[in-house]
Amino acid sequence: MPPPLPAARRTSPRVVLVHTVTFKQARQLVPVLIPILAATGFGGGMTTVVLLAIGITLLSLAAAALSWWRFSYADGPAAVVVTRGLLSRSVRTVPNDRIRGVEVEEPVVHRLFGLVRVRIDAAAGTAGQDEEVLVDGVPRAEGDRLRVAVLTHRAPAGEPSADDVETPAEEEELFRWRNRWLLYAPLVGSYLALPAAGVAALFRLGDELPDPLLDPLPDVEVPGGWVIALLVAGGLLLLIAGSIIGAAVVNWKFRLVRRGGTLVAVRGLFTRRHTELEIDRIRGASVSQGLGMRWVGAARTGALVTGLADAERRGQLLPLGPRGEGWALAHRLVEDPGPLTAHPPAALRRRIVRALVLGVLVTAGGALLLATTGRWDLLVAGVVLTVLGVPLARGLYAGLGHAVGPRSFSVRSGWLVRTEAVLEQRAVIGWQVRQSWFQRRAGLATVTACVGAGSGGYDAVDMDAAEVPAFTAAASGPWAGALAPAGARD
Amino acid sequence: MTTAPSPVREPAWSLPRAAIGLWTTEGAISAVFLWLGIGAFLLFVPASAGGPVPVLRWVLPTLGLAQLIVSVGISPWVKHRIHRWEITAEAAYTRTGWLTQTWTLVPISRIQTVDVTRGVLQQMFGLATVAVLTASSQGTVRIWHLEHGMAQRVADDLARRAEMVRDQAT
Repeated sequence: MPPPLPAARRTSPRVVLVHTVTFKQARQLVPVLIPILAATGFGGGMTTVVLLAIGITLLSLAAAALSWWRFSYADGPAAVVVTRGLLSRSVRTVPNDRIRGVEVEEPVVHRLFGLVRVRIDAAAGTAGQDEEVLVDGVPRAEGDRLRVAVLTHRAPAGEPSADDVETPAEEEELFRWRNRWLLYAPLVGSYLALPAAGVAALFRLGDELPDPLLDPLPDVEVPGGWVIALLVAGGLLLLIAGSIIGAAVVNWKFRLVRRGGTLVAVRGLFTRRHTELEIDRIRGASVSQGLGMRWVGAARTGALVTGLADAERRGQLLPLGPRGEGWALAHRLVEDPGPLTAHPPAALRRRIVRALVLGVLVTAGGALLLATTGRWDLLVAGVVLTVLGVPLARGLYAGLGHAVGPRSFSVRSGWLVRTEAVLEQRAVIGWQVRQSWFQRRAGLATVTACVGAGSGGYDAVDMDAAEVPAFTAAASGPWAGALAPAGARD
Repeated sequence: MTTAPSPVREPAWSLPRAAIGLWTTEGAISAVFLWLGIGAFLLFVPASAGGPVPVLRWVLPTLGLAQLIVSVGISPWVKHRIHRWEITAEAAYTRTGWLTQTWTLVPISRIQTVDVTRGVLQQMFGLATVAVLTASSQGTVRIWHLEHGMAQRVADDLARRAEMVRDQAT
């Protein structure tokens, strides 16, 4: 029986203005416009520039109006249908049971016009492929209605709330962002990357400054060493400030609440993001700590959710915070499987051998170079590598571990970023056991729990080969008993 | 040093012997391409060119010969010994690899799709590959080089049983 067709809805006409201002559609024309501009040049001076600006704006307005006119969406009891396309009409139907999450975003310009953008995530047939439906530019109330309607698979007529923080009785706040956590930001690689790029660009600009500008500098009677020290200190300060500001922009007023069967995360300074995760689809949690974060006891926690596009960002439940908070949150989602078991000493030996082989090879090459050409720098590099190899190997080994509890298990690895994944038993949809020739000799094996969430697989690297059948059987359903050796079966 | 016993059980069934022929052919084809490259190097790069060229003129053919012996003479037989598969009441189970062995186990209840593919070479040897896909990108079981009729029967059987016992599959 075909479900009754819901009435098609349109986005707000105000979105035409938003898109005109942001040149959303016109941006696609940039690759075409640049060569035209290059060919004609700015010969006409001011008038040409003004005419061009007016022309481009009109073009943008026309494109935005056209795409608004041709776009409609409908949320029915069984599916969400989106129709669009200028010349060729495309109709996309996404069944409700394939929808994995809804996100309501408020970019700055949208907010000025009282609009929001609704992003509907749907899992496609095969693993790792997801499709997304974007309803861009509906009033905030309609955005909330759409979100609720799609998530609950029913359309409550006309009870939208004006604010995105509704207050049903069962709401429970899991945690709220504290601004002092921003101090952790300079220790997190991803927050550092952005200002680092900025600082690098500044230095490049400094290189390209015309000489007359730089010439007066040496006249000031400052010792050269001080200038360099000041520059380095300034760069560092800039880096730290940039990472803190970057973290603040993304995570401003982060708030995680549980509302019935969903987790709702709201965050962002300029663009407010509103992400919903169905608790029923959460299969586990990951707690990761970078090298710097381990020093100060910081961590980030993410949920491992089945069929979530862009899971790295959307699954984030604690973007940055104290380790205790991170673990408390992870254990609210998944039962604590208990303390980790360290991996056998053979795993440490493997790491040391690996680190030393590289160092010794470089040292040997350096010795050869010293004997033949008298150059000693490679030899020094080799010795340094060899000496650093052992602590590195120890650090890598210390990161390894696994644990099994009654309903969950966890695996941990990594040194630069140490990640521990805590997974429910039902999350496992397959096991992969890998053993290289070297591992076979050392009596080790790497076990991968295949999971339909997060990165798709979580490794227990170099665990005791004899422990594998017991671990897999305890960490998943009885079907994993097929792995047990014939002699050891009960 | 003797090899330790394998960490997990060995799947029960081995592949048909035609797989050895297929692997040998694959090895021979890769050797042909490799030797075309080595031949071109020997022909077109003059021995008088400086740097490492004089050494490479000996090293490359030696490596090529080693590759030929291993990929045609040794690895097909070793692979045939390593590659095993089994469909139990609850799961699909394989062992693949050569120097590095990989065991993969996927419960039938979590199977999403089952594919049968036949490559050009496989068709010549009457073989086919059964791929069992799950919601995880890493949880894919591939049973290489089964006889075609057998592959089709296995795929049909798995698909039918997956339909019957399917739970959430994620």
